[in-house]
Amino acid sequence: MADPIIEISNLQLSLVGGAGPVNILRGVDLRVMSGETVSIVGPSGAGKTTLLMALSGLERASSGVVTIAGTRLDRLDEDALARFRRRQVGIVFQSFHLVPTMTALENVALPLEFAGASDALQRAQAALAATGLSARAAHFPGQLSGGEQQRVALARAFVAQPALLLADEPTGNLDRETGQLVMDLLFNLQRELGTTLILVTHDPALAQRCSRSIRMADGQLLDLAEAQP
Amino acid sequence: MNEPPVLRQAWRLVRRELRGGLHGFGVFLGCLFLGVFAISAIGSFSAAARSGLLADASALLGGDLEVRLVHRPLDPAQQAYLRERGQLSGVLELRTMAASLDTERRVLVELKAVDVAYPLYGQLPLDPEQPFQSALALDSGDYGALVEEAFLQRLSIRVGEKVRVGAVDFVVRGVLKAEPDRTIRAFTLGPRLLVSRSGLDATGLLQPGSLVTYAYRLRLADREQVDQLKLDLQQQFPDAGWRLRSWREAAPRVRFFLERMNTNLTLLGLCALLVGGLGVSGAVRGYLGKKVLHIATLKCLGASARVIFVAYLLQILLLGLLGAATGLLAGGCIPFLLDWLLGESLPIPLQPGFYPQVLLVAALFGLLIALLFSLKELGIACRVPAAVLFRGYVETERKNLGKKVWLAILLTAGLLILVAVLSSSDRRLAGWFVLGALACFLIFRLLAGLVIAVARRLLRPQQPALRLGLANIHRPGAPAGSILFSLGLGLTALVMIVLVQANLNSMVSDSIPAEAPAFFFLDIQPEQVAPFEQLLNDSAGLVRLERYPTLRGRITAIAGVPVEQAQIDPKVRWAVRGDRFLSYSAVMPSGTQLSRGGWWPADYSGPPKLSLTADVAAGFGVSIGDRLRVNILGREIDAEIANLRTVDWSTLELNFALLFSPGVLENAPQTHIAAVHLLPEAEESVYKRITDALPNVSAISTREVLANVSRTLARIGAAFQGMAGIALLTGFLVLAGAVSADQHRRIQDAVIFKVCGATRRDILLSFAAEFALLGLAAGAISILTGGLAALAILKGLMDAPFNFYPGIVFATLAAGIGLTLLLGLLGTWKALGQKPAGYLRED
Repeated sequence: MADPIIEISNLQLSLVGGAGPVNILRGVDLRVMSGETVSIVGPSGAGKTTLLMALSGLERASSGVVTIAGTRLDRLDEDALARFRRRQVGIVFQSFHLVPTMTALENVALPLEFAGASDALQRAQAALAATGLSARAAHFPGQLSGGEQQRVALARAFVAQPALLLADEPTGNLDRETGQLVMDLLFNLQRELGTTLILVTHDPALAQRCSRSIRMADGQLLDLAEAQP
Repeated sequence: MNEPPVLRQAWRLVRRELRGGLHGFGVFLGCLFLGVFAISAIGSFSAAARSGLLADASALLGGDLEVRLVHRPLDPAQQAYLRERGQLSGVLELRTMAASLDTERRVLVELKAVDVAYPLYGQLPLDPEQPFQSALALDSGDYGALVEEAFLQRLSIRVGEKVRVGAVDFVVRGVLKAEPDRTIRAFTLGPRLLVSRSGLDATGLLQPGSLVTYAYRLRLADREQVDQLKLDLQQQFPDAGWRLRSWREAAPRVRFFLERMNTNLTLLGLCALLVGGLGVSGAVRGYLGKKVLHIATLKCLGASARVIFVAYLLQILLLGLLGAATGLLAGGCIPFLLDWLLGESLPIPLQPGFYPQVLLVAALFGLLIALLFSLKELGIACRVPAAVLFRGYVETERKNLGKKVWLAILLTAGLLILVAVLSSSDRRLAGWFVLGALACFLIFRLLAGLVIAVARRLLRPQQPALRLGLANIHRPGAPAGSILFSLGLGLTALVMIVLVQANLNSMVSDSIPAEAPAFFFLDIQPEQVAPFEQLLNDSAGLVRLERYPTLRGRITAIAGVPVEQAQIDPKVRWAVRGDRFLSYSAVMPSGTQLSRGGWWPADYSGPPKLSLTADVAAGFGVSIGDRLRVNILGREIDAEIANLRTVDWSTLELNFALLFSPGVLENAPQTHIAAVHLLPEAEESVYKRITDALPNVSAISTREVLANVSRTLARIGAAFQGMAGIALLTGFLVLAGAVSADQHRRIQDAVIFKVCGATRRDILLSFAAEFALLGLAAGAISILTGGLAALAILKGLMDAPFNFYPGIVFATLAAGIGLTLLLGLLGTWKALGQKPAGYLRED
């Protein structure tokens, strides 16, 4: 049996808004095994994206414990979290979040460059090739279509071969056909590299492609269902 | 349905946009405010001073007409002629020594003796208050004297104590708080001592040949008649050899100085405004950059490019007016503020007021700069494609502006140049300034392009922070261009200022040659020569003594052409400006270098011959064999130039432009002048012995004179430093603006970097590398441009030597670049501290 890569216990997360503190996550418990693919579904405002942020260390828990690949995130400072992400986590966003003034190749190379890899560009080139975008390496994000931009984002997320991939509505800004292509690519890469995938989506069909689906509402995980392969 | 007029559509948009306040326009308004303030402040001050000078012209001159002679008074017929035409007052001025009876200290003073009619105009406020004439009068056997505060300080005495001048002990009865007719001179040799004419007569200082200036002032019933009276005087007494000045020509040097200062400072102010233009451009770019999606939305909804252009142009003009108006208000108030704060202690009478022409020019400068530096950004903004809305990212490449916008830019630039040149009293200088500014802009534009191109082509460094820093420079839309521009221009101004300052300072300190005389002694009477030399020879520490008989004379004709009609190089025009010292010698003075001709025999007794300095001969366009006519004490002497001497005036050796052959001037009234070289330890005792024994002899200390020159240069320099400080402040404001305009992008980048695993140190290092590389590039070129500007100012405007001081320049650059780095990093601090989740969630 594989080891757990994600262990969350009684995770609470409140954010302070204009009208006072808002409890986004209210006692989340979760355990995900290495290599698993898990989808998180639920209505808008349920806390799905916040859960991803907490998993990546981009958002700090108000209480509770998040352990990823054996590392307790609450014990890391901001820079240690950055180093942790660089080694363990890849993230794909709905709105891509590429650096607009960097070429596709430079965008993909970024995590490797921060990790001090001397062959960052070569590996980035290979990652771009894996997403079928070799010819677009020198293009800036503004010169790429939405689907192409998301493929660059995928290449960037996978280039450092992270143990965990977090994807937040990766097809939300794409048409059905392009979305399908991107997701095929994502699952292929995940399978090839054995990466654990946490996928936030509104699309039930997409959720079905994961080995497990979790429903979230009002900051809590309501039910857990094993997907039918 | 008819489309509403463009202006109405645009105005509606403007009102709605400006409802959001002026956020993002701080640098825009700050730059315009500083530039317009600088120009309107200096213009208003100059105008107030000019008006003040004109209003007080008669008081400044001391009368409606002044007749001035050196060495000799007016003859009785001339005095009678003047007395018939108005109220006459006579004033004598000379330099002499005054000594305290108690402290035994001595000081060279600018002595002025006045008659009972003085002053014809104005008042002399005294401390303690008392009637002016009775303060000077003979009372209980003592004459009174009035002095400047500095006189009391130099002698360490107080009002009521006595000072000895010549053979008379004067009681200091009060302090002169102001002296309206004292020509405002940047340079004087000593403090003022004012006595009565009868008091001066009693001192015995008025000897034949003494260097005394006689000024006769006339008060007319109608001062408008003064020009006619000048003509009458010239016709009636064509050979009088006097200098006539009417109230219209009062304080000409002050006015010239003011004019010059106004021109130079206005150009420096314009420099600040030009640098500020970059801030304007950056602010407009930043503002419009944030409006891209808004503009695209408007276009989708049917707004034409023209409406967009006019709407934002109106906003820029309104904000430009706001910035310029606040600058004008602050600048226009400067004369009032100075008058209120400094009042009578100002050396120039101010007439505070708002001077519309000055303010109009400053406002025009402000608005034209705002327009010039905004048009390009406006042109780009109105070409934003509506399709941007359908794409995740805005196209980063710059659009072609189109002919109309380029034409508008060229027209605005032309208008700006026209206003700069036409509003300057020195159009040639303004023209050079325009060329210099254009060259500077061109150089920095090319430099920016070059740096970006080099950064793009350089091999990728291994160090990730350095690699990112380098990439930040050449990325599309990177602010490298505007940072290089603002930093480069700021550093150029800094290098220029320190180089000019260093050269001026060293000009003073270097002008004390190792063997400079310690003292010059003036007004040694012929019968005092022997005791004077005896005293020196008896003193320990005498190194060398040079002494010449001196007379005063003025050149009246050059090679047969009257001086007024002769072509004379401006560099040697001083030689024909009134009376000059001259001398004679049978033998060639030691150390003389003859460049042409030979020295006359020691026993020469033929027709008058002349030894002339080579620089004056070249400026006059004469050589050996030509003749000069010189008027000495009313006698015209026509002399042939026998030889030319090369003289280095900077050595401070005793030298004369004109040296006569023997047998011409020996019997004319004359005094002697001596340059005395002493060991430093002997200076004080020799000074005391000579001035004790020969009280009429004036002693000028080389050290004190040069200290005085330094102080004068420092005073003039302070005004320039103030203006240059504004230029520099604007430069840093622009830099801060450029960094802050780019902050949004930096935050965005920093968040994505963090998502990709960058630590704060990684991000900080990449930004630091970027700013350091830009700082080094701007610094390198600033050495060239700042050095050239300093060279142009020193050689072109001041005719002063230029030296490059690498130590000072590099230290300045290091400080400037260090400050930039700090400013840049402070500006990006927000980016470092940005929590990624908030940004990612908002998106």
